[in-house]
Amino acid sequence: MRKLKPLFLGIFLLSCQLLWSQTKTISGKATDSKDGTPLPGVSVLVKGTASGTVTGSDGTFTLAVPEKATALIFSYLGYSSKEVAISGSLVNASMEVSQTKSLDEVVVVGYGTRIKKDVTSSISRVTSKEFNNLPLPSFEQALQGRASGVFINGGSGKLGQGLKIRVRGISSISADQQPFVVIDGVPIVSQSLGSNTEPDNPLATINPDDIESIEVLKDAASSAIYGSRASNGVLLVTTKSGKLGKSKVNAGFYTGWSKPTRKADFLNAAQYRELFSVAAENVGYVGADEFAAETGTDDWNSTNDVNWADQAFQDGYVRQYNAGLTGGDARTKFLISASYNDQKGIVLANRLNRGTARINIDHTLNSIFKIGTNISLNKTNNYSVPGDNAFSNPLQLNAIPPLHALRDADGLYNSATLYYNNLIEREGNNETLNKTFRTISNAYVEAIINPYLRFRSQVGIDWNNLQEFQFLGRRTLDGAPDGYSYSNQVTASVFTATNTLSFNKGFGSDHDLDALIGTEYQKGQSSGASVTGLAFPSDRFTKIASAAIISDGSSSETQFRFLSYFARANYKFKDKYLLGASYRIDGSSRFGEDNKYGSFPAFSAGWILSEESFLKNSDVLSFLKIRSSYGVTGNAEIGNFGSRSLYAASAYADVSGLVTSQIGDEKLKWENTKQFDIGLDFGFLNNRISGEIDFFSKKTKNLLLNIPVPATNGYTSITKNIGDMNNKGVEFVLNGTIFQGDFVWTSSFNISTYKNEVTRLVAPVSPGSRTLGRLAVGAPYGQFYGRQYLGVDPDNGDALYLGSDGKPTNNYVAAVDTIVGNPNPDFYGGWNNRFSYKGFDLDIQCQFVSGGDLYNIAGFFQSVNGDYFDNQTTDQMNYWKNPGDITSIPQPRLYDGNGAGKSSRWVQDGSYFRVKSVNLGYNLTKKMLRPLKMESARIYVSANNLLTFTDYTGYDPEVNTQYIGNVNLGHDFYTPPQARTITIGINIGL
Amino acid sequence: MKYIYKLVLILLVSSVFTACKKTLDVEPQQTIDAGTALQNDQDVNSLVVGGYSILGGGSLYGTNLLMLPDLIGGDGTATWRGTFQSPRQITNKTMTRNNADANLTWTAAYNAINTANIVLNSLGIVKDPDLKTQLEGEALFIRGIMHFELVRLYGLPWGATAGNTQLGVAIKTKPTNTEAEAFEKVPRNTVKEVYDLVIADLTRAVTLLPEENEKRASKYAALAFLSRVYLQQGNYAGALATSNEVIESGLFKLNASVSAVFSNKNTAESIWEIQQNEQNNAGTSNNGMATFYASLPGIGRADVRITASFVSNNYPVGDLRRTEWYYIGTGARPGNTYTSKWKSFSQNLPIIRIAEMYLTRAESNLVLNSAIGATPGEDLAQIKNSIRTNSTAPAVPTLTDVRNERLIELAFEGQRIHNLKRLQQPTGSFPWNDDKLVFPIPQREIDATSGVLVQNPGY
Repeated sequence: MRKLKPLFLGIFLLSCQLLWSQTKTISGKATDSKDGTPLPGVSVLVKGTASGTVTGSDGTFTLAVPEKATALIFSYLGYSSKEVAISGSLVNASMEVSQTKSLDEVVVVGYGTRIKKDVTSSISRVTSKEFNNLPLPSFEQALQGRASGVFINGGSGKLGQGLKIRVRGISSISADQQPFVVIDGVPIVSQSLGSNTEPDNPLATINPDDIESIEVLKDAASSAIYGSRASNGVLLVTTKSGKLGKSKVNAGFYTGWSKPTRKADFLNAAQYRELFSVAAENVGYVGADEFAAETGTDDWNSTNDVNWADQAFQDGYVRQYNAGLTGGDARTKFLISASYNDQKGIVLANRLNRGTARINIDHTLNSIFKIGTNISLNKTNNYSVPGDNAFSNPLQLNAIPPLHALRDADGLYNSATLYYNNLIEREGNNETLNKTFRTISNAYVEAIINPYLRFRSQVGIDWNNLQEFQFLGRRTLDGAPDGYSYSNQVTASVFTATNTLSFNKGFGSDHDLDALIGTEYQKGQSSGASVTGLAFPSDRFTKIASAAIISDGSSSETQFRFLSYFARANYKFKDKYLLGASYRIDGSSRFGEDNKYGSFPAFSAGWILSEESFLKNSDVLSFLKIRSSYGVTGNAEIGNFGSRSLYAASAYADVSGLVTSQIGDEKLKWENTKQFDIGLDFGFLNNRISGEIDFFSKKTKNLLLNIPVPATNGYTSITKNIGDMNNKGVEFVLNGTIFQGDFVWTSSFNISTYKNEVTRLVAPVSPGSRTLGRLAVGAPYGQFYGRQYLGVDPDNGDALYLGSDGKPTNNYVAAVDTIVGNPNPDFYGGWNNRFSYKGFDLDIQCQFVSGGDLYNIAGFFQSVNGDYFDNQTTDQMNYWKNPGDITSIPQPRLYDGNGAGKSSRWVQDGSYFRVKSVNLGYNLTKKMLRPLKMESARIYVSANNLLTFTDYTGYDPEVNTQYIGNVNLGHDFYTPPQARTITIGINIGL
Repeated sequence: MKYIYKLVLILLVSSVFTACKKTLDVEPQQTIDAGTALQNDQDVNSLVVGGYSILGGGSLYGTNLLMLPDLIGGDGTATWRGTFQSPRQITNKTMTRNNADANLTWTAAYNAINTANIVLNSLGIVKDPDLKTQLEGEALFIRGIMHFELVRLYGLPWGATAGNTQLGVAIKTKPTNTEAEAFEKVPRNTVKEVYDLVIADLTRAVTLLPEENEKRASKYAALAFLSRVYLQQGNYAGALATSNEVIESGLFKLNASVSAVFSNKNTAESIWEIQQNEQNNAGTSNNGMATFYASLPGIGRADVRITASFVSNNYPVGDLRRTEWYYIGTGARPGNTYTSKWKSFSQNLPIIRIAEMYLTRAESNLVLNSAIGATPGEDLAQIKNSIRTNSTAPAVPTLTDVRNERLIELAFEGQRIHNLKRLQQPTGSFPWNDDKLVFPIPQREIDATSGVLVQNPGY
């Protein structure tokens, strides 16, 4: 490491020699190609350098350029960027509005930006105009169906819940599988902080409307600059910034209503009595007697007919108010914004509200120094829902027989039910509230040393404070007998200091070099304190100050640090041959003593064939680039102290002692991924049709696994880097402008696949007692493995399973485990259409998943032909009645377990096609606006999750219960569906 | 002016590209590094306390070592009614190689043994000579009793073969400090070798431990355990000498009330107890003696039901133990018989009581036809008298009288299967040396040692 420092310094000092060279002055104007109106705030860059300026409020600019400068590049948000050759001292640009994703658009890359045309790596980009005004529960949902190679599973319809984001398959087993998230250069905390069984989502605290673009770095060439954090991909989030020109006020409001996308059908009282009478009779019991014995009630004979399943839901709403001010002059640009968003979930008691404020300022001090800061403040209140496996989960109400009354004689919620009636938690002062206070902020100073060289130093912090509070009164399950109160405080922060020196220069007309060196230091810290109190004088006292017993208390702290050095160079020859290389060295406190530093190189190359003479004049083909990359990334989310041998405290009555807690491997390190990517970017008919196709192969080694050791030595396992896994896949994107003119129709389609295969393990990870997901060499991650259900024997109504001899057997124990599904999708993607006509615009975004099996764990309770008194799904009424009946529902036999074993009986295809969002808007014309003294106004109506097409019979095919760990993908367990939300809104500009 | 910028820049750049290696040294906060964990007297003492905390866990004396011997040998006395599969298998003698409790107890016992071995290996750190002696004694005590509990559960009983060459458990006398040591594969020793180690450890612990050691193991706790070991071997002379020494110390006496030792902490009757309180105990929902045994409002799962006829046939009407130690459940699974020995989550767990010493001395004197310390009649009268039990003991008891009294007095304290085995008596239809009365070596252990650890017959 130390050897590299003089090298960096040398380069730096050398570059200072180039500081002041000869210049000339150029002026000009940028205008809209449509009507010639001047465009303020257009960025003007000298080609091949990083120096430039922006146009003033009248669209004009003046710029000192080096004598040798050949061209200027004009770029402006929403317009295609334009290169104009310098001839003389006047350079004007007529800018065209970009209709589709343009090849000239600027994409954000690690520690910099690049023109899309010159990119030699694989990056998906989603910009604010694609998700503006949509009621997104959290910003990363915007990627769903829009970014190729990014598989997103919302998990459920709970607000503030963590989403599964998988970039190009699954690259880890025991370390994190989520991508690394960087906001304006600040790596942020994206893992759950709270103590609830339902993991919270720290990303839900971020206001989606503050975001300008989200770039997903998918291949090694783009992501390896983030070294040991990049194996799961990197999300680069860029927030909006101020714009030059007259100060503008924007204000918006929307409000909406939400309902579950689907409810499930359970038996009514008559059906329930019929099924359980038969079930009891078939085993020689009397239904009424058994029901009385199990529930302790005589509700069998009641007239009650309660739809308990529907009680879990409420009508939700969403509303948002936001206002912002942007503006700036030649030296200072600013953005100030504030928003308040309030969402009431569709599941009882679920609510999330979020208040945010942001100030982004950039200031040019003088010809050399530029400074700036982004400051955001967020507060989120999350009234969260319990984990799926809790009796207090409202969805579990669907297990309660319809024969029980909703309320008792006193008008309180009935507590004499088969299972806990968690509606009791909706009475009185019961509450679960998690408050988050957060700031993600940075400040930078940039020095333009000379037209080719700039130095940037940035510090950033993500500071989170989570306050969890829960009170459960004496009538609740967990609050009995005298009340329960819990309070937890967690503070988690990441501090980052980054310094980069970038060099950008053209040599002659053929050579362009863009290079960067940098260092980064990162410190992460997390501390927490919690206390639990029991026994309160009444349910009106909810804070622990009033508790008679302080039953539990704890405080904790943990830290990690990273120290990194990185470099990158991109070389372009004759605007058609592209070469790129990057290298990062990461040192971390997490890595073992013998492996403190890891290095992560990547290489890429591209060839713009359409610049070659043999294609240059083609009328059809307007752009064609082939590119390929190879590189190494790591996954450092291996726990903060995995490599250490440790002692912990252990209490013995009133004294505390020491015990050994872990034996470590001093060689423990990051998980390592080598990725190859080859891709093709193309454009036809003057780029009216454009697209990308990518093939990737990811080989991950050194997966962290626990290796069992003989317990006779005092330990049961040691964590080592030992497993291997591969992911391969194809991604395809096609964009097109189908109609142009007054009526514009643009369409974008993307489809992606990945094939995952585990190639090395210490020992297979077998499915749990309730689950089907497993890990085995040669099998995809989370493959479903268990008994295969073969339906019902028509002769006797017995459930049949695949036997060891390949023939059906009614003996569950003798049946064999076999592969019964794969929760990974065959392919997934999105199809987005945007129509506009005069003032109207319509956006329809669809999203689909094909394949990807689902297993409903709750089937064992709710779709099991009356094996126990849980209310059953209505399809169970089609049970076997008489010899010869052909059905898939076995003969009901109370307590007898006919067809009740864990099996493929509850595995279903999880394919779905969803009209994810529809947004219809109308922009008021200038004429209409003039009397209103407005610059712009837009009214719109939108719908989220409008339609879902699926064969899955559960609540929602986009499901992933969180309580059973990472291996069990595609498992459903009383998991609430997503919400269908209809909103109306208005945006005005003054 | 520009030169100032230049200077500032150079300073800035050179400072930010500098960093030192120490930046990456971060120490954990809730745990401490093994290399620096043990530095002084207090640290080693804490490690011994940690050893007791492991003994008090649900996998050892906190539940399993007190409950499982009464389940596997429980025919006619108690049944498992709970939903947990593992104790059910143990009760029914249908354990699989993956029996969860057989796995947990094995793992926890060796964790305690490793802790003891680390203490023994770290005595050089301890400066106070008295403390050093005491800690060595306690470590040997822990190592000795853990090997004893393991060999009784995981090997065929003492006497099953002529030279006791049947496989016992792996003897561990070295600590694990490195990764390489953690992978070491240690084979099983014979039952005789394990008993020899147990006796050597406990005998030396007796010479090292103080006469009184507050709530921790004293010299007499080690002696009392030694008497158990000898009795298990049928070495009545050894059992007699050691039990007599405990009684003769005069430090222990039976409480006037039979329930006092199970409802008060550290009474005169207790030679050694596992300490528990409200916060730190073996468990209140999935572990803990009260959890499984009690059927009181809000306390207990009532998983272990006492066979009513066992109480009515063995405790005479009027004997206070019949009413003080048993009750009809009012909590979970109400209306059945449960024992009140274990009815509070936070109550200490008596592991060895002076009553046992009287019974051991009486039985040994009878077998050896002697009257060392006292006559069997006098010893039995300590247990059974008008004040303590409201009943009387025979003046000249027979061997059967004493042995029956042992079953009655020590019922549901984790002794039953061991008693049956030493007396070579069956439980239900299973003879004393049946393979199914021996726990399986956990399958994970056989896998982790690639078969160096050999499975017991019958699995």
